[in-house]
Amino acid sequence: MTAVPPEVDAVRVDDRGIWFRSPADDVVDVCFDGRRVWSFWLQRDSTSAGGGARVAEWPSALVRFLDGSTRLSLVAHVSGVTLYDEEVRLGSGDGRIAVVSPDGKPLGLDKSNRLSQTFDTRTPEQVAPLLDSIEQVLAAIHDAGVEAFLAYGTLLGAVRQGGLIGHDSDADLGYVSRHHHPLDVILESFHLQRHLGRLGYTTYRYSGIAFKVEVIEADGFRRGLDVFGGFIAEPVGDRPPMLYLMGEIGAPFELDWIYPLTTATLEGRELPVPAVPERLLEATYGPGWRVPDPAYHFETARPTVLRLNGWFRGIRVLRSEWERKHSSNRERPVPAAPSGLAQLVVDREGVPGQVIDLGAGRGGDALWFARQGAAVTALDFVPRAVEKARAVADEEGLDLTVREVNLLSLRSTLAEGARLAHAPGERVVVARHLADATVAAGRSGAWRLCEMALRDGGRLYLEFWSGGRTGRSETQLLAAVPAETVAAELAERGAVIVHREETQVESAEGQPARTLARLVAEWHR
Amino acid sequence: MRKPAGLRRRVVDAVGGGLVTEMRTRIEELEAAVEENRNLNLRVAELVDLVQELLIPVASQDKDKIQAALAEFQRSL
Repeated sequence: MTAVPPEVDAVRVDDRGIWFRSPADDVVDVCFDGRRVWSFWLQRDSTSAGGGARVAEWPSALVRFLDGSTRLSLVAHVSGVTLYDEEVRLGSGDGRIAVVSPDGKPLGLDKSNRLSQTFDTRTPEQVAPLLDSIEQVLAAIHDAGVEAFLAYGTLLGAVRQGGLIGHDSDADLGYVSRHHHPLDVILESFHLQRHLGRLGYTTYRYSGIAFKVEVIEADGFRRGLDVFGGFIAEPVGDRPPMLYLMGEIGAPFELDWIYPLTTATLEGRELPVPAVPERLLEATYGPGWRVPDPAYHFETARPTVLRLNGWFRGIRVLRSEWERKHSSNRERPVPAAPSGLAQLVVDREGVPGQVIDLGAGRGGDALWFARQGAAVTALDFVPRAVEKARAVADEEGLDLTVREVNLLSLRSTLAEGARLAHAPGERVVVARHLADATVAAGRSGAWRLCEMALRDGGRLYLEFWSGGRTGRSETQLLAAVPAETVAAELAERGAVIVHREETQVESAEGQPARTLARLVAEWHR
Repeated sequence: MRKPAGLRRRVVDAVGGGLVTEMRTRIEELEAAVEENRNLNLRVAELVDLVQELLIPVASQDKDKIQAALAEFQRSL
């Protein structure tokens, strides 16, 4: 990438994307009526369209806006030279294309092609609360005995231009632990998160050493501030000490390039940065970090990815996917009729006194059991999904409690298990489409939780796809798991299968039939 | 790890006397073992955290305090 603008010609724009010819690979901004909405690399982010032409297809997040006219310009990001500038019409709409949020706030695509209120769409008054929040969170972390600093894009903006990067949309903080073993570094991150919680912050954990702190800004916007932990792994043999910083960095490093911290100016405020920020920026973005790239993609080395995954990740597998799915069906009414599994429970043992709906989803069965007079606890790692069912239960004065449980986290599973075990009495655990909704580690947590919850007796009722599609996609999050696998896992945890059925279920035209399994298990003591 | 195509594999095995295939298998096993080992960090840390947060109320033998500590612990995750 250079300050010399790339050669680009034969540009045309249609509903599929932007067509052009260019021998260069360089990063280009796409502006609608003079405002950047997207950036792409001429070669990397396009495909060959034959005869030397290329097409950069519209990113999916942008497509729904492309219905109307706009003055579309392509601007070489580094040199600022305009390569194309024409009035274009897309779709069949008559108005101007407006890439805005439902309440009219301008949106752009960030480097991961996600729609967000990038900083270039925000006024200094709107950015001020974010800076206040950065200072506040830094102080809170300091209060917990950890020295945090600006990291990733926020550090890059401060060092390169003294301000937030226009095409960025979030602020990142980092720290390097004084510990050198991953276990101690994780414990420190747990304590740090708990400390922030006590100070009143809402937090959301991503991994063993990274979490998000939520800050509500002046216009009501919920801003997530990511806090990434890191540590220096001591030298092994003649290999140098390595810095590992969640979630992308693994590089030979010296602790005195970080501490003692110094400061840099960000939007007029002096904020902490590493002692030699250039070293961290090079470890983060490579030697070309000084050249702006609004479409930057991390290419983290495999050994670093394996280490970060192995040490710290695995407690939120499929969580974003389920959060997205539930946020899209939140408005739909909660089903009023019982599922086949709920019906099986009642056929076999009448209405139970206590029901645990494990992996409750939208809570249809939880609500139905509550309406039959059961005391119901609905557990899910996306508790917002159950909100509607809980609101209905509150209105009707039903006994329905909702709690968050993450079956991939031992802490969460054991704490919930202990809580359930504390309340005496037999109960039924219903887990409909849980075994096929999570991964093996999630099932392991589920069976552990059931063993604790059913210590006074009662049964576990499971329903899941046991035959059919085993892969997952964005819209199809259930992946079949053989009934034998689930039965073996339960047996390993000491359960006895007392009922088992498998039925073939017809699928939509052209799709192979699927098999639905129902298992009932109990623990004998 | 990508497995060599049939012909290439047979040639490699013929020259190396099966050593390459054996090495490949052992590397795969080692990688899996390293991964399992690394995974212990998060699991042990979760256990230590839970035990540490609960030991104090447990030591007090106060059931209400234990329940409150559990509820508080869950909220803090």
